[in-house]
Amino acid sequence: MDAYLAAIAIIALIYMLLSLGLTLQYGLTGLINFGHVGFFAIGAYTSALLSLQGLPLALTIPAAAVTAGLAAWPIGLISLRLRDDYFAIVTLGFSETVRLVITSEKWLTNGVQGIPGIPRLFETISVGIGAQLAVMGLILAVTLAAIYAMRRIVASPFGRVIEAIRDNEEALQALGKDPAGFKIQVLILGSALAGIAGAFYAHYITYIVPDQFIPLVTFYVWMAIIIGGVGRVSGAIVGTGLLMLFLEGSRFLRDIVPGVSEVEMASLRIGVVGLLLVLFTIYRPQGLMGDFTKR
Amino acid sequence: MFYAQLAVNGLVQGLVVGLGALALTLVFGIARFPNAATGDTMTFGAYTALTVHKASGSLALGSIAAVGGAAVLALVAYLTVFKRLAGRSVVSLLVASIGIGFMIRAGLGVAFGHQQQVFNVPLSRPIRIAGLAINPLDLQLATVAVVALAAVFAILYLTPIGRQMRAVADNRDLARVSGIRPERVMTAMWLIAGGVSAVGGMMLGIKTIVSPEVGWEMLLPIFAATILGGIGSPVGAVVAGLVLGVAQEVSTPFVGFTYKIALSFVVLLAVLLVRPRGLFGRIEGVR
Amino acid sequence: MSLQVTNISKAFGGFKALSGVSLEVPMGGLVGLIGPNGAGKSTLFSVISGFMPPDEGAIGFDGRSLDGLNPAGRARTGLVRTFQVPREFAHLTVRENMMAAAPGQTGESLVGLFLRAGKVREEEERLAEEVREVIRFLRLERVADEPAGKLSGGQKKLVELGRALLVKPRLILLDEPFAGVNPVLIGEIMERIRELNGRGIGFLVIEHDLEALTRLAPQLYVMDQGRILTMGAPDAVLADARVREAYLGGAV
Repeated sequence: MDAYLAAIAIIALIYMLLSLGLTLQYGLTGLINFGHVGFFAIGAYTSALLSLQGLPLALTIPAAAVTAGLAAWPIGLISLRLRDDYFAIVTLGFSETVRLVITSEKWLTNGVQGIPGIPRLFETISVGIGAQLAVMGLILAVTLAAIYAMRRIVASPFGRVIEAIRDNEEALQALGKDPAGFKIQVLILGSALAGIAGAFYAHYITYIVPDQFIPLVTFYVWMAIIIGGVGRVSGAIVGTGLLMLFLEGSRFLRDIVPGVSEVEMASLRIGVVGLLLVLFTIYRPQGLMGDFTKR
Repeated sequence: MFYAQLAVNGLVQGLVVGLGALALTLVFGIARFPNAATGDTMTFGAYTALTVHKASGSLALGSIAAVGGAAVLALVAYLTVFKRLAGRSVVSLLVASIGIGFMIRAGLGVAFGHQQQVFNVPLSRPIRIAGLAINPLDLQLATVAVVALAAVFAILYLTPIGRQMRAVADNRDLARVSGIRPERVMTAMWLIAGGVSAVGGMMLGIKTIVSPEVGWEMLLPIFAATILGGIGSPVGAVVAGLVLGVAQEVSTPFVGFTYKIALSFVVLLAVLLVRPRGLFGRIEGVR
Repeated sequence: MSLQVTNISKAFGGFKALSGVSLEVPMGGLVGLIGPNGAGKSTLFSVISGFMPPDEGAIGFDGRSLDGLNPAGRARTGLVRTFQVPREFAHLTVRENMMAAAPGQTGESLVGLFLRAGKVREEEERLAEEVREVIRFLRLERVADEPAGKLSGGQKKLVELGRALLVKPRLILLDEPFAGVNPVLIGEIMERIRELNGRGIGFLVIEHDLEALTRLAPQLYVMDQGRILTMGAPDAVLADARVREAYLGGAV
């Protein structure tokens, strides 16, 4: 049971990193990133492939952050010239294209067969619950550091400017500030967080295939921050908690309710995500933790 | 000759993309947001046609049921969700449309399972025209698409409600002050968008397979065609869909089977960066 | 030296919004721009501030051409605009709205934020003091920590003016500062504008509240149908038959 809880905690923390990245991009800056999972995938594959080349994870995980961040750079350059809704479509297309590349470039990624046997974190130290707790501790430390950094950003001049971009970009330009640089930094930073999350995911699951990186993952994260409350760090935390409750709860439900297959449960899960997105958008756009006016 | 053959094969694919893009561009032009549930509405059409075809053996009956069913589905989505979000930001509508798409896909997954299904249509020998092998089934599908397109364009260009729809797409404020009732226009538009999606979805299902994801996977080409054609331009959407369908097929020998979908992404980016109005776009900035 | 607008034309499709508009605002001047709705006043502001490229014509400020500069670049030369419909940063407080406007903040770069925390704190304290003064000057103390989105229309106009002041402007383009503002507050705003003008900040003010503007600006330009109709002192302009015809419909 402890192992089960630790496993849930690890996955929750990985989603938390994704939610924090999206909070920075959408919640604070207003960038509609529908391709978050693409950067998550880039991080996962980067760290997995490098570690299988024998590089230590202490290097491959930062490398995952760097590659995912670098991948966001051209997307950022493009975003500066696009309307919000076009940017959403382009990022969605980007993440699907990443999945296509992963599927097609078999020489590198082994295609749909995926990459098995990815080294675990702390593999050499111990086995069993000890190793798992160590992994959890590390990811928790990284997540806490990310939360701390986010809070610093929100309370800073940089945070003021990105929120001003979200509220009214032209007004900010009229005051002599170019939103471009800020948007690119935010995209890179949020994507680097997604990249780190991807790396942790790969080293925890130890087996990655393209099908783990479908847009549904992006919208799990959207659901988390919309339910929690867009633009608030606390919203991201609460929302991710509820997302995990939902994902695990649905698995638990399947185990106790007879006659529901995994495939049916997968469909139901998608349906509930859809329903929640619709209901929250209509009835509680500010999420559970409230509007972003009061932090 | 080889490429000409590919181009011909691409035409049917292009009609599917074009029909989806037509549905999307109507919504985008008139309700002013990119409806991400368009692909799933197509899937809904495909399953409806498949079910009725299985039960009755008639493809005609299947397509009528699909058009009617998807039109009602789209209207219900408008009345229950999109209408309540009128005046809210584009992102609200966009996220809600993603949600609706998920719900449709979930419903289909629960009702029909995830295993791929196919239309049981008789295979026949290709006929040769000017050295090109043409599948009679493709000809039939193309005919259905052309009939559907003709019907839509007749409504858009020959009826009062169609003129009103185009007026709203051109200039919403002007349309309002000239006494156009937005409610009627919206109702008509969503019915047509749903019906058009269903025809595209059914064709896609007959040409390939039917599964809960087929429509969603068409979303990228459909978006690309909509933007290439110029948002709110019905003619542009269909032409761009055909161009994209043909381009995908012709490029397959060079880029491989999987990357032909990525072609849509490249086209999308190129159009947005070079000519955001698209080929047939009339007005800068749709909003 | 001054703001020099020379022969600006701008068309939307077949509609000529601006045709051959020229005007000049001397440094430290206070100039009004009046005209009926649709005369092209706000379009002219958009062109001057770089949000809309003109089809023809040139804009110079302080002896330098602004033609190659984007809106932010133009604002940094000291030419700052406000908007007809206020564009407050709705979710930031009034105080934060103004603090966001100040140029050259170390804490606006992530590197500066995390590596030079001491300097950032110091700057923030100095900026907070500056903003307090502006808030006091604009009489916004009571709403200083409210989200700007919750303020009244007139208060939002003041927030926009306050933000503009934080940029250290030499010339402010004010777009309808009295529109939708209650009469008491109009007097207040006018007083603040005069005071700022006394400190050497120039103003070009769009208004269609004719009465208010004639009290405020010693020099007026009149626009109609995309053209400058005439210019001069308020009395002379109001006496002009063409102005009465176009703008007042001959009723005054």
